Amino acid sequence: MNSAAGVSPVIRTSRWLGLPVALGLIAAIFCLHIALGAKLLPLNVVFEALTARDPSNFNHTIIWDLRLPRALVGMIVGASLSVAGALMQGVTRNPLAEPGILGLMAGAAFAVVFGIGMLGLVDNTAIPLMAAGGALGAACLVYLIARWVPGGTSPLTLTLAGAVVTAFLGALTSVAFLLRENAFDSYRVWLSGSLAGRDLSMLLTAGPVLIVALLLSFALARQITALAMGEEVAQALGVRTGWLKAQLLVCVVALTAGSVALAGPLGFVGLVIPHVVRLFTGAGYRWIVPYSAVLGAGYLLAVDVAARMLFRPAEISTGIITALIGAPIFIYLIHQRAR
Amino acid sequence: MSTIAASRWYVLRLFGERIALRLPVGALGWLVASLLLLAAIIAYSLTIGSQPTSLSEVWRTLSGESVSKTIDNVVWEFRFPRALAAALVGAMFALSGAALQNVTRNGLADPSLVGVSQGAGLAVVALTVLWPSGLATLRPWVAFGGSMLVAILIQSLTWTTRGASSVRFILMGVGVAALISAGTSVLMTYGDIERVLSVLTWLNGSINAANWSDVQMLAAWSAVLLPALLLLSRSTAALRMGDATATALGAPVRWVRYGLITTAVGFAAIGTAVVGPLGFVGLIAPHAARRLAPSGVALHLLLTAALGAALVCAADLVGRTLMAPVQIPAGLVTDLIGVPIFLILLRRAARRTAL
Repeated sequence: MNSAAGVSPVIRTSRWLGLPVALGLIAAIFCLHIALGAKLLPLNVVFEALTARDPSNFNHTIIWDLRLPRALVGMIVGASLSVAGALMQGVTRNPLAEPGILGLMAGAAFAVVFGIGMLGLVDNTAIPLMAAGGALGAACLVYLIARWVPGGTSPLTLTLAGAVVTAFLGALTSVAFLLRENAFDSYRVWLSGSLAGRDLSMLLTAGPVLIVALLLSFALARQITALAMGEEVAQALGVRTGWLKAQLLVCVVALTAGSVALAGPLGFVGLVIPHVVRLFTGAGYRWIVPYSAVLGAGYLLAVDVAARMLFRPAEISTGIITALIGAPIFIYLIHQRAR
Repeated sequence: MSTIAASRWYVLRLFGERIALRLPVGALGWLVASLLLLAAIIAYSLTIGSQPTSLSEVWRTLSGESVSKTIDNVVWEFRFPRALAAALVGAMFALSGAALQNVTRNGLADPSLVGVSQGAGLAVVALTVLWPSGLATLRPWVAFGGSMLVAILIQSLTWTTRGASSVRFILMGVGVAALISAGTSVLMTYGDIERVLSVLTWLNGSINAANWSDVQMLAAWSAVLLPALLLLSRSTAALRMGDATATALGAPVRWVRYGLITTAVGFAAIGTAVVGPLGFVGLIAPHAARRLAPSGVALHLLLTAALGAALVCAADLVGRTLMAPVQIPAGLVTDLIGVPIFLILLRRAARRTAL
């Protein structure tokens, strides 16, 4: 549906050429991410550890137990959040949509904090499930508010509904946090959005779900292009819009919940990446979705490197840097719409 | 001669002729009522605490008669300044919101929603973390500077388009606030841990630590800002009709606007410097005042201040007692109350523009 017609030759070539370039770039950032840290490791040690692990080598232990899990979490979370953002932008036809801004992340974070603090659920399968419940609840809440406010489905009002739901859930999260302070010592860092201190166990629970959700998103990507042109157009093109939206909602909730469970609420990733991707893919979601996954993975890895290196030995939460980069882009996008 | 009340219009019969007269009796009544409410909340909050005190004991202590050393101390050194600070700060945030709403002609404006409070927050954190030996007296000035920069930033971002929609204006504030919070967090990670902990509770908007010197500072600033605001507000009625009309009516539009922004920023910045950002007070109080008493600019402002004071005192009281012994910062309480009210106002604003 978004074939050669109407797409400039530059974009057509950049679509194909971009993929190997992006993948190569990610491989480079991946190695760099593992090499850099409190202890700098030479790249040949990194290769050695990844290809031929020697359990008695201390450096190899650092890499396998600390750095590799963190890098993998960063990649999968970056990919998931970016794809979730892209899907949401397509469905709502709102260029400002993403899991953080529309309140899904705050919902997931609140549900996790509530579950841990009030119900005492701390195991690895419960946390992603609670996050999913919270994300779904918040999505429904924002949708209901948007329906309730006249003209609320317009991009700006929908975004505003998300922002106030985020503020409300954030305050509730803080209250839950204050009431059960002791229960949260290990979650303080998580709540500001961080990849630090992740182990492989959570990745093994949430990872497969995220990968399935990503693959389903790729499969649905073609139809989103039609949906983004409007419901009537999509129906005329033979898309069963209700069914498609339900599937996309499941994808978005799963991607958000898994990401929040792994890395806490990381804002603006899902906003920034699809917009960057559009610069060289054009408007077709068949390309936007997979590119968002690839670039999102690389982006979050790079941000995480910065989070660890900028104020050494202190480490900034990754979520702070994604906000520092994302918020100006958010402001710019609103400014653009004003004209 | 008889008066018939018909929705705050008073119809006067003089020699058989009916003369419609708009008396601010309603507004005055509401002002007195809200001041009484404020006094009641303060009185009740003085009795609450780890050392339970009866109302008569509080009264005796306040009137100079000593009850017991502990009670005198608790009431005079902790509870009373805290209650007064809450009232003053509430009035200041409320007035800041009222001034912002007037100058932006936007019913959804609030100092914490458009990032003005956060600007003060960042500036104060920066002062505390980067220059620990900095003078405490500098704090309000630094807060004022930070807020002013944010106000200028937001104005320049939204004023490029004439008649920018409410929603866009607020969203711009949301973006700026996110950016500033991230900057604040960077400073807090980078800064010395003891300094950081000292600003941590403050960032949630807590009146916990307020003391007499805070009350003095708040009172001194209010004494300057409130007359300024009342003076400027005489022109806001004209301003609300649009720039062109206001100019035609002879209002010095530009200067009134600059003055209003400066006072709004001043109120919010000083309030934030003392207790941290308290969200939605500046949104709720002016709207409540307008509902109760739609007429009279000066009275509206005074009523707004009284309602804001009562709101923050109540929020502080609820935060202290609801989940005791855990103290919930007043800022979280006002957030939880404020969001539903914001949505109702948003709905009303959207309806009006849709029609």
